[in-house]
Amino acid sequence: MTFWLALAGMVVVTFGSRYAGLALRTELPAFWVRFLHFVPIAVFAALVTPSLEGDLGEGEIRLVGAVATALVAWRTKSLGLSIAAGMLAFWLLRIPF
Amino acid sequence: MRGFSAIAPLWLGVVPFGIVYAVIARDAGLSVVETQALSVFVFAGSAQFSAAGLFATGASGLGIVLTTFLLNVRHVLYGLSLGRRLTLDGWRRPTAAYFLTDEVFGVVAARPAPRFAFLLGAELSLFLVWNLATLGGAFLGAAIPDPEKLGLDLVFPLAFLALLVPLVRTRAELVVAVASGILAYVIAQATTSGGVPIVVTGITGSLLGAWLTRGRPVEEARLEDAIREVA
Repeated sequence: MTFWLALAGMVVVTFGSRYAGLALRTELPAFWVRFLHFVPIAVFAALVTPSLEGDLGEGEIRLVGAVATALVAWRTKSLGLSIAAGMLAFWLLRIPF
Repeated sequence: MRGFSAIAPLWLGVVPFGIVYAVIARDAGLSVVETQALSVFVFAGSAQFSAAGLFATGASGLGIVLTTFLLNVRHVLYGLSLGRRLTLDGWRRPTAAYFLTDEVFGVVAARPAPRFAFLLGAELSLFLVWNLATLGGAFLGAAIPDPEKLGLDLVFPLAFLALLVPLVRTRAELVVAVASGILAYVIAQATTSGGVPIVVTGITGSLLGAWLTRGRPVEEARLEDAIREVA
């Protein structure tokens, strides 16, 4: 039930944002245009750090995986390759030597 | 049809994104129907991504909706820009709005004199591919046994890191990314709800960015930005 309520709310705010822009005939103040530019940066960063450590005490090797992902993302901008590099680094370090 | 094929080069980015989204959503405990419903009704990649992760942490519905709002309110900008260049009346306006995404805005904004048919073709093209990728990923996700043990929950932060890195090009963007990462981590240690840190950090980080770049000229929402900032 919570899921479908959340989904309904997501539809309202998403469609509302998309529709409002097409219906309005105004200019947004410059400050808020700049604010919106930074939203994905701030939100994506906020989605990375809290779940990076994990619950199994593997924080260090997960961090190495993140470094690998960041490097590949910087060079290639490819989502698939970046995730693959990070997971590969993580799995390799996980093998008990 | 021309709109439909104009967006085809972007399928390359959309397909893996859709598959990864669906795998994460299934891993978060959403059913195939729920995973697909988000793609059909919300149709906004980064918001669906974050919602999937937030469902996994047991965040409140309100936190998920607020995060979605924060991520999608940028569409107001695209609409303002498109609305000035295209006349949309009657059923055309809500239809165009429902399927509007960053990619479509980017492609249509680059056209000298876009028409509604072109816009709708591009929109439906992306909608179709996104939903097919979701379906594929949803079944793929179900085929993976015991995702927690494999450490597959790591895909979630890695995916957002991979989305974040290409967005960071200026010093102000780097400052905002680092500050937001630290702030979210600190708040997450102090709270249990997954939604609050994201919303608080999203607002604080964006205010910081707007303040750091104060006094600089703002360009019209640019093609390049729209393509960088995925659905």
